[in-house]
Amino acid sequence: MSTTEATLQHVAAFLAYALAAAEDVFFKIPGSHVVARYVKSSHQNDPGRSVLELILIIFAIRTLLQSRTRADNSGKNFVKYTEQEIDELVDEWTPEPLAQPLDPMEQAELDSLPVIQGATGPKPKLASSGKTVLNLASYNFAGLAGNEVIKERAVETLRKYGLGSCGPPGFYGTIDVHMSLERDIADFLGTESSILYSQDFATISSVIPAFCKRGDIIVADRGVNFAIQKGLQISRSTIRWYDHNDYKSLEEVLQGVEKERKKKRLPLTRRFIITEGIFANDGSLLDLPKVIELKFKYKFRLLLDESFSFGTVGRTGRGLTELYNVPATDVDMIVGSVANSLASCGGFCAGSKVVVDHQRINGTSFVFSAAMPAALAVSASEGINILRDAPSIMTTLQENVRAVRAVLDRVDCVIIPSHPASPVIHLQVKPIPTTSLAPPSASSPPPLKKSLPNSVQPYNPQSFDIIEEERLLQQVVDEALAQGVLITRAKHLRGQELIEPRPSIRLAITTGLSKKDCEKAANVVKAAFIKVLSKRR
Amino acid sequence: MALNPPSPTPSIFSLRKKSSQTPVSAASYLSALSHMDAMARSRGSTPSSTPALSFSSSATGSSGDSSVCDDFDDSDGLSTPSKPPTSEQVFTTVHAEFGHCADERYRYESQCKPGDSYDALEMDPPYRILLTTYLSYLLLIIIGHVRDFMGKLFRPETYKHLKSEGGYAPLNSDFDSFYTRRLKKRLDDAFSRPVTGVPGRTIMLLDRESKDNHTTFQFTGTRTRTLNISSYNYLGFAQARGGCADAVEEGMNRYGVAACGPRLEGGNLDLHLQCESLVARFIGHEAALITSMGFATNSTTIPALVSKGCLVISDELNHASIRFGVRLSGAQVRMFKHNDMNSLEQLLREVISQGQPKTHRPWKKILIIVEGLYSMEGTLVNLPAIMELKKRYKFHLFIDEAHSIGALGPHGRGVADYFGVNPRDIDILMGTFTKSFGASGGYISGSKVLVDRLRVRGHAGAYAEATSPAVLTQIMASMASIMGVANPVSSSSTSGALVVADPTAYPGAAPTQLIPTWFNLPASLSSGLEGLERLRRLAFNARYLSRGLSKLGFIVYGHPASPIVPMLIFNPGKLHIFSRLMVERKTPVSVVVVGYPATPLVTSRARFCVSASHTKEDMDVVLRACEEIGDILDLKHGSPERWSVDEVIERAVELVETEV
Repeated sequence: MSTTEATLQHVAAFLAYALAAAEDVFFKIPGSHVVARYVKSSHQNDPGRSVLELILIIFAIRTLLQSRTRADNSGKNFVKYTEQEIDELVDEWTPEPLAQPLDPMEQAELDSLPVIQGATGPKPKLASSGKTVLNLASYNFAGLAGNEVIKERAVETLRKYGLGSCGPPGFYGTIDVHMSLERDIADFLGTESSILYSQDFATISSVIPAFCKRGDIIVADRGVNFAIQKGLQISRSTIRWYDHNDYKSLEEVLQGVEKERKKKRLPLTRRFIITEGIFANDGSLLDLPKVIELKFKYKFRLLLDESFSFGTVGRTGRGLTELYNVPATDVDMIVGSVANSLASCGGFCAGSKVVVDHQRINGTSFVFSAAMPAALAVSASEGINILRDAPSIMTTLQENVRAVRAVLDRVDCVIIPSHPASPVIHLQVKPIPTTSLAPPSASSPPPLKKSLPNSVQPYNPQSFDIIEEERLLQQVVDEALAQGVLITRAKHLRGQELIEPRPSIRLAITTGLSKKDCEKAANVVKAAFIKVLSKRR
Repeated sequence: MALNPPSPTPSIFSLRKKSSQTPVSAASYLSALSHMDAMARSRGSTPSSTPALSFSSSATGSSGDSSVCDDFDDSDGLSTPSKPPTSEQVFTTVHAEFGHCADERYRYESQCKPGDSYDALEMDPPYRILLTTYLSYLLLIIIGHVRDFMGKLFRPETYKHLKSEGGYAPLNSDFDSFYTRRLKKRLDDAFSRPVTGVPGRTIMLLDRESKDNHTTFQFTGTRTRTLNISSYNYLGFAQARGGCADAVEEGMNRYGVAACGPRLEGGNLDLHLQCESLVARFIGHEAALITSMGFATNSTTIPALVSKGCLVISDELNHASIRFGVRLSGAQVRMFKHNDMNSLEQLLREVISQGQPKTHRPWKKILIIVEGLYSMEGTLVNLPAIMELKKRYKFHLFIDEAHSIGALGPHGRGVADYFGVNPRDIDILMGTFTKSFGASGGYISGSKVLVDRLRVRGHAGAYAEATSPAVLTQIMASMASIMGVANPVSSSSTSGALVVADPTAYPGAAPTQLIPTWFNLPASLSSGLEGLERLRRLAFNARYLSRGLSKLGFIVYGHPASPIVPMLIFNPGKLHIFSRLMVERKTPVSVVVVGYPATPLVTSRARFCVSASHTKEDMDVVLRACEEIGDILDLKHGSPERWSVDEVIERAVELVETEV
């Protein structure tokens, strides 16, 4: 008895001590007196209230402690299993293999991929045959690939900076040459500032979600390229579509957006028009002044993808803004590629200082990725210098484009959706005119129907036989290669593009080839088309 | 030499004192600074100043034209070694890029020893620190809101960009940008510091100052060479001199700088194929695919692996690029607690038994995505445990080795090598070339079927530019020097195509037929000896710094083998002061500090990235700096069993070699 009493006493003494110590510690916390006084007085006035407050505090703590990614096992859809049943289910489950083997067509495509041996350029050597070919496939619009001055500068930079940047821009990866390239691009275009990304494909898919969040409105062209589509997907914004390069449709959609906002009394959110300068999927050209007019009229911001128009059009290659003589500051964000025309790597976004600085913190692939190698940044700067000093490059490019178009425009079995000034030329197979009424031709669209802005599908989707056309085009590519001209089909991820682009052959014209070579190459392509397409049916 | 202006380093203290902006507690900072100053002056002897004599006796002198050596003030021990080399020692590297360290005791092997305890000790700081940390955030938030409120009222023109104007919604809402404007801006001095030159063992900072509380920065025109403990340069291949750089120069001359176009559309060079075979061989997989950007490697291939009806189970601390890719894929995502294998197993049992939500159909595929080495925590994936789970639950495994490839394992082959797991048991290994190989871009490796599928289904193949040939040469040169190039006599017996598929050869040397014939690697590289030395130096440095900091009393996260050593700072106000104090020392050290949102709210930290290019003396410098600054800023909240800094430096080898 006495022992239990003693222990009890012991415990009581300890409790009292602990309580005193706790109180002591509690009062040492700054501000604790205020809390104590509050609790005391509230308890005095209304004991029920302190109980209620206590419950509230406990509830608050409980809510805070609950994990955010709580397992979804409270829903009624959750089936309770015993451990044994789970074991059985686990044993039963057989996953699909991670990757399906390629089907014969895909395998053939992969096997037929030309491999360039040694340096690429206007006239590279192929590994398979050892032959030198005329290159109308690689993006070398300004002919800067293999430029000796650029090479020299790149080597110089290598000897000063090493190759890799070894860190993201935030953590000692901002090298002075990056800053000067950013300045060069901004000066070249006439914007306030610009920011570099280390891959062109990752640029726009990162720029879009940096600005467009849930609830924002994006009006986009139905023909935008895959990178933009991915950016739109990531952004989770509300997307409205307008018909490809149809400015009446664009205006209607813009009006519709404003009308809807007024009707539903929605708050003003950020609104963007997203489109391309020269469309990657068909080479058509944007009517920039028209879009700028609409953008100011309806108070939208314009995000323009100039991946293929920067360094290819305009007097000195400044892109669409130079072509149309529009100040670049009228376009809120110009996204372009450093890889395509400057023959280096990466992409950029140019705009006002606010636009650019925002991306330095919110551009996902800027923040979380290593900066581009110094030597490549210097190459790009040098490329811009060359473009700036030699307007003849762009003149030659346009002459070459005209030479090629002069030959190909006269081929009957080919449709060319590309703009006559575009150095990216898409060649599609013209379907054989059939006696049946089956495919409604584009020339006589049903007059009353319109595409719905909410759906990406247009009202009159083109109908074409992807597999058959791709097969034919591949034959053309093979035939041209046999005749010494390297061309390529425009590759698309079938089933992943929002609207399947019509199969085409994509030519990339370069100043690296003489006009004669271009004509020769175009004639080879023409002959290949005629040879392959005359054989069908 | 004489023409060069004198280095700014000695005058840094007097120069900077007035210019540094410290909105948090300027007074304490100034006193700390003067204290530091005094200490640095009184010490003097630690990185003992060397006469310029040592220049001529080592290879450093041969690179006089390089920007690396344009400041010859070597009292800080950065440009020239503190100990002049003896006549037998021949160093082929520039000391400022890749430190001279001949002492064979300072080497270690990065390998999981049987009986190594896996779980790292995570120490909790005293409550006082937690409380003040929370309080400082609270204070920042309150002050920020008050400033926003007052500012909008009295200085509307400065807040114009945050308000709707002329029918345009603000590009950046004040709520979304609150953290950036009110917290990050205070620390901006420590972020995005512009640099020049090679990001090797040392890095040259372009000094800048701000007169308007970090709204704009002006360059002062001076430069500071700092000890670089922040770049991802694990194996020290960030070099402007040496065998790799020579190979890259040759590559540039032969191939130009760009591949001009996506792989599937005319940008496919022979060099790409050679490099991919070599990478596959290095990893120990059948095939590999190279992408031109590390971030894009994840974001463009994950959508080709999984789709609707598939489940991705992802570690909660996975990198942004993985999340980006998963979001594009349309697959369901579930997360598990960082590195918690019980949580993972429970989750697996639940998802497999429940099947897809609503329909209860079985999942088509379950892909677990983890990282080999987590870049903010320095923790390693618990690979042996995951491999056990994989046998039982049949999921597919994707390991992102962005940081671990090259940096871990006795042969530098990443986590699989470190834990002794056969890489072929792992479905997909992904990694980058930025970190260990001094290049850029990333790879995905796996079975041939898988890689071929990714070639045609991945976004990068059809739409993104191919890797630059200059980058490819750097990758191949650095990789070959880690692997060593097989003796041509012995490899001539096997045929070229079969060598890659031969699993028994892992982790073997690089067969000569995979190396372009024009590569002229010096013997030290092609023998693989230098590569091995790099691996062993990195392993030593990593363990030494991690253990050393713990012994000094700091709270250090992560695995001791990890070259990323996060040291906890907690209070956000100390972050940039720590960074500033490190840069303003007699031997300046550039460090990375990270806070919320890259880390959880309380655990702001300094993150050291150790490199093979560091010497033991460099680690000593860092330890001493941390010791002194740690006292000033009250950062030591770790283990009570502490050693003095001299003891740590004295007993370095013992510290590294004891098993805990």
